[in-house]
Amino acid sequence: MPFKDFSKGLVKANPLFVLVLGLCPALAVSTSIENAFGMGLAVIFVLVLSNLIISLLRNMIPKDVRIPCFIVIIATLVTIINITFKAYLPSLTESLGVYLPLITVNCIILGRAEAFASKNPPLRSVLDGVGEGIGFLLAMLLISFIRELLGSGGLNFTILGYKLGEFTIPVFSSMPALFFIMPTGAFLIIGLLLGLFKKTGVLR
Amino acid sequence: MKENVKRVVVLTIIILVSSLSLYAYYTSTEDLIREQETAKLTEEINQIFPDAGRFVQKEDIYYVYSDDGDLIGYAFKATGKGYGGDISILVGVNNDEDLTIRKISVLSQSETPGLGTRITEDEFISQFNNKPIDAIKLRSNNGEIDAITGATISSNAVVNAVYTEYKNKIKSIQR
Repeated sequence: MPFKDFSKGLVKANPLFVLVLGLCPALAVSTSIENAFGMGLAVIFVLVLSNLIISLLRNMIPKDVRIPCFIVIIATLVTIINITFKAYLPSLTESLGVYLPLITVNCIILGRAEAFASKNPPLRSVLDGVGEGIGFLLAMLLISFIRELLGSGGLNFTILGYKLGEFTIPVFSSMPALFFIMPTGAFLIIGLLLGLFKKTGVLR
Repeated sequence: MKENVKRVVVLTIIILVSSLSLYAYYTSTEDLIREQETAKLTEEINQIFPDAGRFVQKEDIYYVYSDDGDLIGYAFKATGKGYGGDISILVGVNNDEDLTIRKISVLSQSETPGLGTRITEDEFISQFNNKPIDAIKLRSNNGEIDAITGATISSNAVVNAVYTEYKNKIKSIQR
């Protein structure tokens, strides 16, 4: 069932909330919806292409050098994304900072390469990449929504440099709970969300 | 034995293909990236010198000329250690007797949102406008710059960076 390969990444095998992979960028870049969106898109791109390439090469790569091979392929894709962003979206490069090149060592990408793409045909691997990538993006948006709302007292919908709208909570925005923008707030929010999903079982 | 050779060959081929494709992609976008960087710098310099026509770079100092070709000022970058990392600032200097500060603008920073990030706001930044360098100190240091409440480290980082870099650069400015 190819569709299942896609849909499982959204909920059942959500990379952040179920597989608990890629926490580092999730903690660091989820301070605002804008950053979360840019990061999510970059991860989708790299994940889909790395799954495709690794799946195509899966029978040629010897088992004991597979990890270095995967890393070289992923690093190449990340460098391409990095150069592309620098050339066409310089402002996003600035706000994502070091976390863009660090997608190379994002466990979601290597994790999917190892657990899925290296064992499955190209089409299924691409669907898996799209699903897991969108799952990551949605999870990032949820976390950053809460953090930006509480931490800056409002929301700023800017997608890839285009401002779509703005919203501030009256009174609260002059003295927001800055704590939520800090790393501590990220741990707290992700921890609470993980606990909530585990307890209620909505993601199962 | 055969397995051993295959390992080396496959990994080498993958690395070769990766490097070659990266090389090709990099060379094809190199000019565009440089263009973006120059465009960004021009925009920043224009913010400080709205009447700027062109600028020439000599040893990290940008000499800014008006449309008529008169030297109207200088600009250079300064970096300070803030609370959350480096703060990068573009400093504009008037081409007048005392080489007063024309205006500064914060290029990049990673300060605490809501507190330290206020160093980018006009209320703080405009304090530097057209001040002689000796006034660029915090008020607690007998200067004329008011620190942002709750963000003394960030305010101090900006002031120190501008002051130190100014003293450094002013020696090499050719008038």
